[in-house]
Amino acid sequence: MSTEMIPVLSAERITKRYGKKTVVRTASISVNKGDLKVIIGPSGAGKSTLLQCINYLVTPDEGRILLEGREIDPSRKKDLYRLRQDVGMIFQDFNLFDHLTAHDNVRIALRRVKGIDKTDASERAVRELERVGLLDHMHKYPAQLSGGQKQRVSIARALAMDPKIMLLDEPTSALDPELITEVLAVIGDLRANGMTMIMSTHQISFASEMADEFIFMEAGIIVETGSPAKILSQAECERTREFCAKINEIYGTSY
Amino acid sequence: MIESLTILAGALPYLLKGSVVTIGVVFGAMSLGLLFGIALAVGQVYGAIWLKRLIGLYVWFFRGVPLLVLLFLFYFGLFSLLNINLTAFTVAVIVLGLISAAYQSQIFRGAIVSLPDGQLKAARALGMSDATAIVLIILPQALRLAIPAWSNEYSIVLKDSAVAYALGVTEIMARAHFVASRTYQHLPLYFTAGVIFLILTYAGTKALRLLEERVHIPGYSQ
Repeated sequence: MSTEMIPVLSAERITKRYGKKTVVRTASISVNKGDLKVIIGPSGAGKSTLLQCINYLVTPDEGRILLEGREIDPSRKKDLYRLRQDVGMIFQDFNLFDHLTAHDNVRIALRRVKGIDKTDASERAVRELERVGLLDHMHKYPAQLSGGQKQRVSIARALAMDPKIMLLDEPTSALDPELITEVLAVIGDLRANGMTMIMSTHQISFASEMADEFIFMEAGIIVETGSPAKILSQAECERTREFCAKINEIYGTSY
Repeated sequence: MIESLTILAGALPYLLKGSVVTIGVVFGAMSLGLLFGIALAVGQVYGAIWLKRLIGLYVWFFRGVPLLVLLFLFYFGLFSLLNINLTAFTVAVIVLGLISAAYQSQIFRGAIVSLPDGQLKAARALGMSDATAIVLIILPQALRLAIPAWSNEYSIVLKDSAVAYALGVTEIMARAHFVASRTYQHLPLYFTAGVIFLILTYAGTKALRLLEERVHIPGYSQ
């Protein structure tokens, strides 16, 4: 088997319970290099929990994660930190470090996690900020940036780590409508450059133009997967159809 | 009146030397309280359950027992029992420091838990260990938030330091009492002692106010 065949990342039969409530139930996702898989589904479906299980920000109760075919042992700290370096994560509410400038936000993990020396880390951070169009804002603090700019800094911060895959957890949900486009443009660029990604979003029409596959999730279960066209227009499952109809009503769509 | 002023003028350098001792006690106690208080706060927020309980017990003890009792307990009791020979000054610093650590730990704990969860999450997502995240991400923000409450703690420790007089530490109050009991000029001497404390309170809180402005994160408000 050539390395081409091994998925960049597989999440196998992930289950997460909070008390008696099962928020993710035996969910599996596998992503090949360059794929963009989009998770859709109502709020509370477990999309965010599933994404956070993938880099063990939330520890799943069952299931395993394989990065490039190698199973992660979360009890080994080194394994865990390595996995997280290789998996970039974008959060709904950005989570920039509030006490650091945009430049330092991007630079800090390069310096203190990867151990890259100051000059190289600084240059790398500048390049990543340039890539997301924020060179002019590199010395600003998060509180001085707009939501869209903050999310672009957080993308630059994740990219600087040279991730093998990026997880985007509703990256535009906390943004004002007029700021969504600038973030989507950056995500579109990533896609064009072949970045492997799993994204949860309500931006159905944007996602349908770019995704290789839609994954419809509800009540912690992956209900249905398929090409965007299939999920949106001829989904097998009644619930998927209902959801897509509703989301089209709310967000509008080209479909 | 003239006599009072003459005595006071003569005693003033002596009292001011006492303020150096007071500053030493307060500086030592606040520093000990800062380092130990941060450790306690981190342990109480992120530690295992047994550690949280242990720290809870510590805080309960040092906040619950009166200062004078603790000073005597350590100076005449514990340290002499253990045959540890420490000066009254050192014991005052240690006891005031241990008490302040209990109070400061609660200031820092409050500041840490007031930070959004996402800060630690984002740090972990970048591959930072929790220890690194706490040092680089959590504490720099929490300590900034803690400055106003810490300034309050400073003024309390400053005033509490006068009780060290009971161990024979020659700080402001001890010196004022010494001169007053010899010259019978109680009013001007204790008044002056009070004024010195007021000046020290003012200087300290002013300095911390400046520090707060200096480290303020641009655009940030909470």
